[in-house]
Amino acid sequence: MIVAAAICPSPPLLAPELTGQADILPELRAASAAAVARLLAAAPDVVVVAGPAETTGPCDPAGRLSLASFAPALRQGRPLADNSKKRHAGPAVASPAVIPSAVAPSAVIPSAVAPSAVIPSAVAPSAVAAPPLPLALGIGAMLLDDAGYTGPRKLHGIAEGEPAATCLALGRQLAASAPRVALLAVGDGTARRSASAPGYLDERAAPFDEAVARAVREGDLPAIAALDTALAAALLAAGRPAWQTLAGALSAAAPQAGYRAAEHQPADRPAASRPHTAVLYSDAPLGVAYLVATLIP
Amino acid sequence: MAIVNRTPDSFYRPGLTWDESAALERVHAVIAEGADILDVGGVPAKPGPEVTVAEEIRRVVPFIERVRSAHPGLVISADTWRHESARAMCAAGADLINDTWSAWDPAIAEVAAEFGAGLVCSHVGTLTPRTRPHRPAFTDVVTDVLDRVLLLAERALKAGVDADRIVIDPAHDFGKNTWHSLEITARLSELTATGWPVLLSASHKDFVGETLGAGLDDRLAGTLAVTAVGAWLGARVFRAHDVKETRQALDMIASIKGDRPPADAVRALA
Repeated sequence: MIVAAAICPSPPLLAPELTGQADILPELRAASAAAVARLLAAAPDVVVVAGPAETTGPCDPAGRLSLASFAPALRQGRPLADNSKKRHAGPAVASPAVIPSAVAPSAVIPSAVAPSAVIPSAVAPSAVAAPPLPLALGIGAMLLDDAGYTGPRKLHGIAEGEPAATCLALGRQLAASAPRVALLAVGDGTARRSASAPGYLDERAAPFDEAVARAVREGDLPAIAALDTALAAALLAAGRPAWQTLAGALSAAAPQAGYRAAEHQPADRPAASRPHTAVLYSDAPLGVAYLVATLIP
Repeated sequence: MAIVNRTPDSFYRPGLTWDESAALERVHAVIAEGADILDVGGVPAKPGPEVTVAEEIRRVVPFIERVRSAHPGLVISADTWRHESARAMCAAGADLINDTWSAWDPAIAEVAAEFGAGLVCSHVGTLTPRTRPHRPAFTDVVTDVLDRVLLLAERALKAGVDADRIVIDPAHDFGKNTWHSLEITARLSELTATGWPVLLSASHKDFVGETLGAGLDDRLAGTLAVTAVGAWLGARVFRAHDVKETRQALDMIASIKGDRPPADAVRALA
């Protein structure tokens, strides 16, 4: 049963180590941290991170984002800049005791730079034995680490071309994996929002992203399930399978007792089946659409 | 290797040599400033309006013919990834094909062989021509570069390209983020150690801008720093917009290495 779900994007620059001296998009990082905090506030038995990957299937829950694959200079685990101010630590869940001394030797993390509650877990990825994760799952793992979450987690990759029906079924299956499941769907909108975007400008990109954001804001799970997969692929919207997995997971959730429908919800669908939603960020400042949202059944 | 773009929209000083007479004047100037090679291209690397093969040829081939007749001894490089364009440019007098897009068109090596021209074997990761990198990640970027350029050099040899005319290029910024471009700069000795001559193309590129927080018009010092490191580590060809400054930096490094005597050594020798 899903007790909470969230959507976060997966630009590598969410890892503050990768942006050098600059603090790039701090508001996006803050929104993502807030979304994960709301997810964890539901006291889940397990957090499932789902995101696009080369193949569909579970990944090692001990896996972490490989910062060195994006920034070879970070190979040694040496922070090249003071990133402590860029990170959004969880509500004091992390304690020094959860960081084995062999993983994060004190010499690597100057105490003045990184107070114990803000140990940048991703700074010392080389000490984690597990293989590096697909980007989206690595970002999800990092967000959980940053929130201080040390409970059970599952990481599930979804192949980028996976059809909607498969994603929806996977979502239902993940929702049924424990009595209280929190789902973090990690993935991005289109990458063709401007001439300087990674995929150059495509006029269809902005309306596509707006439709996704509207569906999420309205908790319109059928609309998410019905997203045009071919168009999503053409617009480089890598998050599509993750969103549809989320739609499948939430459609399996029974409505909460005492749920009060938002006024803007159309009457043609039973409002009680729609999750409470909040969109915390929806913009494309670098040509890639980033969406941060929470959806609570 | 001096850059003369026959384009209206290249990233640095767009349209500077779009006009043919301006381009020819530029050629005379860069030769006077010390260029040994002229790199002529008709299609920008960045995404933008399509430039057909016919249009590329129209932009570049008559120009190469004029440069060839004016400067018979100059090495002319054709900056193209399409074998049809490369063939026309070699027929017009180009000596080297600068295939920045890493043999996206595999027939390009045959063209180099056919004309006895040189070939640049480059690395772009998974990019197709005129697209931007999106979150490239490498277990080890230098290994990835080495694997690709050595494979292409081997293929070029098999296609019949003269072994003395093969150059390798890690291609800074192409399919790489700034960290990756810094890494291939720092470890350029791993490329020069292969024995193939290495081309370094860093002039005013985004990794210089991002590293220094410098806009397009403020990257000369960063470019020359990369040039100096590359020269020290053994790169042999330097693709440059600023020929005089690049030549001076390279002469300085050559003298530091002991490969070139100072121009005028009198100080404390009287």
